[in-house]
Amino acid sequence: MSLWHVAWNYLWNRKLTTAMTIISVALGVALISAVLTLREQTQKRFEEEGQAFDLVIGAKGNPLQLVLSTVYFLDAPTGNMSRADFEEIAKLEDVEAAFPLGMGDTFKGYRIVGTDRALMDFAWGDRRPYELEEGRYFEEAREAVIGAAVARDTGLRVGSSFISTHGFVDMPGAHQHEDKPYTVVGVMRRSGTPNDRAIFCNMESVWDAHDHGDAEEEAEHEHEHGEECNHDHGHGGVRADITAALVKLASPALRFEYKDKINRQYNAMAAIPVNEIQKLYEQLLGTAKAVLLAIGYLVVVISSMSILIGLYMSILQRRRDLAVMRALGATRGEIFGAVLIEAFWVTVLGIGVGWLLGAVVCYGLGVYLVAKLGFHVSAVALGPDLVTAYSAVLLMGLVAGILPAWQAYRTDIARDLAEL
Amino acid sequence: MVTMEGVRRTLGPGVVFQCDAFHAAPGERVALWGPSGCGKSTMLNLVSGLLRPHGGVVRVDGVDITGLSGSRLDAFRGERYGFIFQTFNLLSPFTSLQNVVLGMRFADVVPEKEWKTRATAMLERVRLGHRLHSRPGTLSVGERQRVAIARALVNRPKLIVADEPTGSLDPKTAESVMALLLELCAEEGVTLLLVTHDRAVAERLPRMHDCTDLVKETVS
Repeated sequence: MSLWHVAWNYLWNRKLTTAMTIISVALGVALISAVLTLREQTQKRFEEEGQAFDLVIGAKGNPLQLVLSTVYFLDAPTGNMSRADFEEIAKLEDVEAAFPLGMGDTFKGYRIVGTDRALMDFAWGDRRPYELEEGRYFEEAREAVIGAAVARDTGLRVGSSFISTHGFVDMPGAHQHEDKPYTVVGVMRRSGTPNDRAIFCNMESVWDAHDHGDAEEEAEHEHEHGEECNHDHGHGGVRADITAALVKLASPALRFEYKDKINRQYNAMAAIPVNEIQKLYEQLLGTAKAVLLAIGYLVVVISSMSILIGLYMSILQRRRDLAVMRALGATRGEIFGAVLIEAFWVTVLGIGVGWLLGAVVCYGLGVYLVAKLGFHVSAVALGPDLVTAYSAVLLMGLVAGILPAWQAYRTDIARDLAEL
Repeated sequence: MVTMEGVRRTLGPGVVFQCDAFHAAPGERVALWGPSGCGKSTMLNLVSGLLRPHGGVVRVDGVDITGLSGSRLDAFRGERYGFIFQTFNLLSPFTSLQNVVLGMRFADVVPEKEWKTRATAMLERVRLGHRLHSRPGTLSVGERQRVAIARALVNRPKLIVADEPTGSLDPKTAESVMALLLELCAEEGVTLLLVTHDRAVAERLPRMHDCTDLVKETVS
């Protein structure tokens, strides 16, 4: 019978107290697990998607807004840029591929993205984010290819028609382009990317939907929509404009050079998607992560105190048992070790239960992220930050066990056998 | 087997335990008898090394235990002694079998592979073969003391120290437990020092040592 067995039996002998202590450790660990896992996983997924293109180019404004609106379809675009500038940039020496984007409308909240047919064949590494599940790609104006989440949530199938809504938020009374319906010609395979939540068509479709002919009609359009129109009118309504462009360079090493070049030489703004996401995580989300982690560690510190108090009370209650063990020949070191092992068991079980709880929380939030971002995140990833955090929790648990173990170490056999 | 010479231990201000000479031969069974507070339990604690004397010599199996370091004394105690207490002192989270095994685990004198068979055999000898997996809380007081006897004897110690082993038992149970203890000690040839305040119990042993005058008040 090992000391591990002895320690386990004593814990099992006071199941309720042990369970409560384990749960308190688990709550702190679950919070730490969820924060670190979601942070790591979402950043990883954001960066993976951000790596697909080296640059995004759009109207001057906030680079993060540009990236979020064009790569992740999350924010409103910064405005329009000149199509002529785009065509010039596309011809630059190190530009391998450049795809225009035109945005301005949605269907049931899903963004309609006008682009070149060539984007649908885009692949990077072994990933083909625009692969079809059924049907074909768009060829004519007002033909649409829809993402897997769009198909699932709206019921649209190949052959279905739909009317687009003006603007990026689906709100009652928003202008609908009833005279220019779209026909679904293809449904994309689920890719676990923002494409799952998008509707793709050619640029003609976007221009058509917003083709007001001249300045008077544009003004009338403004008047008609009034305040219900929540997008700026930098959408791709004028054929001389596009909303943004996605650019693939010959090498990622050229990103900064081309970003500076475009920002300096064109009336447009270039941004490096992966850099903007890293900045977002480091600056804004970094603070949120630090606050949540601090709360998690605080819970663990409080849990460590409950380990200390629980074990200390337990040692006081079984001074006679410890004295008997010493009388049977147990050394002071063995008694110290047995109590420390109890702290180890409680902490390790707390970490195990906390990890499971954290995985459940991550799974739940992952479902939300799939719906909101199209991102699939792993709920059970064990990254280096988590290993460090769990090690820190284990260390705290063991430190909490030292005082009770020391108390046990100092057992006075004769006094404890006589007094109790 | 056990020798005490000029052993002295201060118990409190003006109160001193003093044993000028005591000897128990190997295999001898001796009752340390006296009224409550006379110092017989102190004597037992000094013999077993649970208390250190402030003067004099305690020899057990030829070893002066007063000169042993703490860790050596722990090991010596595990090897040579078996303990039986008035309140049994079984470890409640463990079964009868596990309690007896723990006696071997901490003493570390029996190879691990023999623990289970030896503990089972010992419990069968104290007629508890049917209670191997029972926890102390489910045993009668007589059964608990028999488990304690099994635990004390399982390492084949040289010396059994028993402090009021029948003190918590009813007369009938006490009688059977005493009979069992004496029988097993005789079979094993182990030296027995048994503390009791009950003269009838003391008289059941071949020799009775009167502990009445062990504790003295000193005049300052």
